[in-house]
Amino acid sequence: MPTNEDLAALLPRVALGDRAAFEGVYRATCAHLLGVAFRILNSRERAEEVLQEAFMNVWHGAGGFDTSVAGPMTWLINIVRNKAIDALRSGRAERASTLALDEEAMAVAADAMQQPQVLFERSLEKLRITGCMGGLGASQRQALALAYYRGMVHTEIAEALGAPLGTVKAWVRRGLDRLKDCLEAAGVRQDSLA
Amino acid sequence: MNYLLPERLDRLAREYALGTLAGPARRRFERVLRNAPAAMRAVGAWQERLSGLAGAVPPMQPGESVWRALEQRLFTTSSPRAASGPLQWLGGVLSARALGGVLAGAFLCAVLLRLQPGLIGMEPQSEVLPQSYVGLLIDSAGKPTMLASSKRHGRLMTVKLLQPVEIPAGSVAQLWALPADGSAAFPVGVVPGSGTGSVALADTSEKLFFKVSRLAVSIEAAPAKAGDKPSGDFVLSGHCVKLW
Repeated sequence: MPTNEDLAALLPRVALGDRAAFEGVYRATCAHLLGVAFRILNSRERAEEVLQEAFMNVWHGAGGFDTSVAGPMTWLINIVRNKAIDALRSGRAERASTLALDEEAMAVAADAMQQPQVLFERSLEKLRITGCMGGLGASQRQALALAYYRGMVHTEIAEALGAPLGTVKAWVRRGLDRLKDCLEAAGVRQDSLA
Repeated sequence: MNYLLPERLDRLAREYALGTLAGPARRRFERVLRNAPAAMRAVGAWQERLSGLAGAVPPMQPGESVWRALEQRLFTTSSPRAASGPLQWLGGVLSARALGGVLAGAFLCAVLLRLQPGLIGMEPQSEVLPQSYVGLLIDSAGKPTMLASSKRHGRLMTVKLLQPVEIPAGSVAQLWALPADGSAAFPVGVVPGSGTGSVALADTSEKLFFKVSRLAVSIEAAPAKAGDKPSGDFVLSGHCVKLW
């Protein structure tokens, strides 16, 4: 992954219409961002469409990037996640009537290491907050992981985990509270330039 | 509802950032976000916290077609930040009707116009393109490289380079017109290697290009004069069509 300093230097140039800077941002981040979109959409084709749309927004919206609100990688991840979540939800009815034929998605589904819970645990390790987050129950972790990596809403998580909706909402809320506390305790501001 | 009460704002911001805020509530909150810096900061803080969860997601290299499509959508059509100029109107139409279509790369579709020649230069703002001659020149790899257009009764040709053309120092990029009947190519003018430019024509487009089916560019040591022939191969070439 590129450093935030690199990206923070490139994005203002993109805002001025610098195509080379735009390509620099794309080349440096596209693989990571496609990975994020793919977890949510489970289809390379749809994830690539989302990536393309997201970078259309990056080109047109780079002027709105503000380091005081979020770091550059956070900004990019969120453009992609929001697009992927919108695409996921708008395509839900269509997908329900079709089989998942994307070989890559099948391969990922079969690879336990890429499951949401595993990604969640590994990310906590990278953030060095595994110990702190240890106080969180397995269901709370799972609920948070399904929401973040799969773009699931509360009702879907409730269905997936066979738990009442109110319980799931509480799990997610507590999971987020814990994440916030642990990050603050660890002094992590992983994507901030401040 | 007052979205900006701190507790409510934090709840909405975290659910929005995580993605669990859905449906109309998500759309409503997005509208709030656009106009409320406090809400934007609250969301930004949660996005920042959550972005660490993306740290372990395995990267996936996208196909090169994603970048090519982006380049085409952003840089070969009109966009708020693309160079504005006389060709901008054309770019917008090309993206929708031609470049994305089956003729991409070589040929432009013709659009029927109702303008009278006498109105050239004073057309009302309209969705309809003025009667023009248009050429889309591709390079040896087949990549759209230069867009050339001139109004039917005008004496100025506008060119826009969609990607740079390398012009050795001391040389010029010479544009030629190739008549449909196979008769000798004649020089039109010198074009830039990048960006946009205009070429003053020796006569109106209608007189010059009426029988021309192709346009091409060669690299020459000096601008060609009437009667000159291209000294070497064409680096760019493409169809010249009437846009009416």
